[in-house]
Amino acid sequence: MVQALENIFVNIAAWTRSTSIDFGLNTSIADFVVLLLGIGAIIGLITFNAILLVWWERKVAGFVQQRPGPNRLGPAGIFQSVADALKLLSKEDIVPSQTDKWVFRIAAPLVFVPAIMLYAVIPFGQGMVPVDLNVGLFYCFSIASLGTMSFLMAGWGSCNKYSLIGGMRTVAQMISYEIPLLLSVMGVVMISGSLNMSAIVAAQKSIWFVFLQPIGFVIFFMAATAELNRGPFDLPEGEQELVAGVYTEYSGMRWALFFLAEYTNLVAMSAIAVTLFFGGWQGPFLPSWMWFFIKVYVVVFVFMWVRWTFPRIRIDHLMNFSWKVLIPVALANILFTGIGLEIYKLVGR
Amino acid sequence: MYGQGLLKGLRVTLGHLLGERITQQYPEKMPDLPERTHGSFALDAEKCIGCLLCKNSCPNRVIAIDVEKGEDGKRKPTYFRMDIEYCLFCGLCTEACPTGALHFTKDFEHAKYRRKDIPMELLAKKVS
Amino acid sequence: MTTASIHEITLNLGPQHPSTHGVYRSILRLVGETVTSAENIIGYLHRGMEKLAESRTFTQFIPYTDRIDYLSPMICNHGYCCAVETLLGVEIPERADYLRVLMDELSRIAAHLVFLGTMAIDLSSTTGWMYCYREREKILDLFEMVTGSRMTVSYMRIGGVSADLTDEFEPACRKFIADFPAFIEEFNNLLTGNEIFLARTVNIGALGAEKAIAFGVTGPNLRASGVKFDIRRFEPYSVYDRFDFDIPIRTKGDSFDRFIIRIDEMVQSIRIIEQALNGMPEGPIMGKVPKLLKVPQGESYFVVESSKGALGYYLVSDGGTKPYRLHIRGPSFLNIGVFPEMAAGWKIQDIIAILASLDPVLGEIDR
Repeated sequence: MVQALENIFVNIAAWTRSTSIDFGLNTSIADFVVLLLGIGAIIGLITFNAILLVWWERKVAGFVQQRPGPNRLGPAGIFQSVADALKLLSKEDIVPSQTDKWVFRIAAPLVFVPAIMLYAVIPFGQGMVPVDLNVGLFYCFSIASLGTMSFLMAGWGSCNKYSLIGGMRTVAQMISYEIPLLLSVMGVVMISGSLNMSAIVAAQKSIWFVFLQPIGFVIFFMAATAELNRGPFDLPEGEQELVAGVYTEYSGMRWALFFLAEYTNLVAMSAIAVTLFFGGWQGPFLPSWMWFFIKVYVVVFVFMWVRWTFPRIRIDHLMNFSWKVLIPVALANILFTGIGLEIYKLVGR
Repeated sequence: MYGQGLLKGLRVTLGHLLGERITQQYPEKMPDLPERTHGSFALDAEKCIGCLLCKNSCPNRVIAIDVEKGEDGKRKPTYFRMDIEYCLFCGLCTEACPTGALHFTKDFEHAKYRRKDIPMELLAKKVS
Repeated sequence: MTTASIHEITLNLGPQHPSTHGVYRSILRLVGETVTSAENIIGYLHRGMEKLAESRTFTQFIPYTDRIDYLSPMICNHGYCCAVETLLGVEIPERADYLRVLMDELSRIAAHLVFLGTMAIDLSSTTGWMYCYREREKILDLFEMVTGSRMTVSYMRIGGVSADLTDEFEPACRKFIADFPAFIEEFNNLLTGNEIFLARTVNIGALGAEKAIAFGVTGPNLRASGVKFDIRRFEPYSVYDRFDFDIPIRTKGDSFDRFIIRIDEMVQSIRIIEQALNGMPEGPIMGKVPKLLKVPQGESYFVVESSKGALGYYLVSDGGTKPYRLHIRGPSFLNIGVFPEMAAGWKIQDIIAILASLDPVLGEIDR
């Protein structure tokens, strides 16, 4: 029973492939059809996530503040996101007259593109990687860095001083925090010996990397929070200082797109964190993909918990923290990991 | 250790997250208001002696009242209206009333859909 | 080849902004993220209170005093009633004085809780704000038990107070006093020791003692800069001279000091409330005041220690039933005056923290 549940997605893909070949399509087109199915599944997953996480964030925020959060629409308020989506879809699309038209309009959907592309290399379960790249991790971080541009486009295109300041802050923040993000996972790469995401998961058979690389995980968590513009690092959308920062001139569905993209990114980063540090899909009894999602949502919960506790950090403290604290600590982490590996090789003979 | 303040903060929020919610679910559960709540107004027309002290004590001229002398020579109110739009709910009128005819009630739900419905007629004109 | 230059941009921290405490507007000149100058623009909440006073009787004006500093309305009532009573020469019964002090201090705690909450949320810690308002609900419930209103109470009258305590008040008040230290500890754990919060407030916007005195700053802002000046000690009014409480003083005058001093003041207010409850004498709550109040000709100026500073009422009477002239010295009006001096040279995020730590209330600034 568990085995059947485990292999359900793999079986669906195999069945589709064999059925397409039976219908007369040749092998490569059948592979292409399976790929389209995978893309459809990922987009379905992203939509489901967005709806779930809007509700989940508001519930966590409410519970932390001793109030119930949304609880009117549906049992425990689960239809709140649907109501919000309907409301946002029906809003007037206001584009200010002085904006740089195309820059303003493209920025919102553009922020989605890197977020979705990240899902291509994440191992959702045993044998369930959409594209098993040999440089999967490298691909992840290069794609993630493209997200900076759409924030700058939103900030510049809005023709609004608040948005401009927000946009400038975003660029500074995201560029500063990509380096610690990369350096913090170098330890993991060194221990597992590969950039392939499935290989990293397989290397955690005996022990999760969070126990071998605790400092690496903490640095990764902080850098990821900054990359996602969440929690104590949400300066681009500094509501108390810049009204809505980068998002000031966006209303209705365009604004919603930014937030959906943020949640998509959040799950993608949590998925990477789970793959690198928490053993990916490995776990007893339950199907592998179920373990994966449980772990992802626990990490998402920790991101939310941190966001609703801490005040916001100042921009120059942010830069100081990244360049003067996180990078040296990450480099020291790499050094000690290297030393540890050499000692392990010598002793383990 | 650097970061201790951050961890203490996390512990506080986790404690509340797993604790109970203190929000009162209105309107399923109505609030338990004290006796003296300044909710809405009520006029006990029998007790009113038409002294007009309430009208004179109001800072915003909210009260409109007509009095006439009845058969037994006593003044009685015939019409009493309060323009709640302008009312400060300060209670100077209820305090000024010597007989306690004008008093507060605990009913706080007096929102209306139309502006013309706002003035409260506590004693309507008799149609003769 | 064109040379690059840095432009100074003008940013309007408009009347509609999540973190200006009300409809306050400031025009900032920025170079990058650093503020080079700030300019106060006020008047968006002007309601003409001082002119209105000339067409209301002395008692009818009391509900308007609630709306001056709407976060601590009892203290505003108190100041106005004392100003009229000085001219009238009426004696206040002892119980009325104790009740006034008790309500003043509860009001002060309520106002400082709003300060803590808004300081937290201006630094983006929404949770801290919620916890403060949870505590403030308890005080508002106490006010509702006695006066019937939560925020605009109009509790005091010329010659005393309007209503006595009910039976349910004292146990509820004692429970509040007993639960309060736990809240202070929870809040300190959440925010005061938080490294991010400390980085945002320590050494930010330091105000020197001489500058504070020169600008007429009073209240906790002045005491955080090291000047030991509290009207309750300097010129005691009502029965404040019978209570045993400390005046917290801090020396650096930065935003963190202004934050901590108000937490200390809340603890001292709890002491006063406890002493007031324990020592409340029996007796009438209203002195001998005629129904139709005619105040003799003359002028008086009465200052009380509000939660924001020295709140003063200057009253000129011409012998009739309505004031001839009433002027209100709103402490926040002068506190805000020092803000442009304090803001120059800091980043945008810092001036939000500085503005929050000055604790302005627009009702007092604009009247």
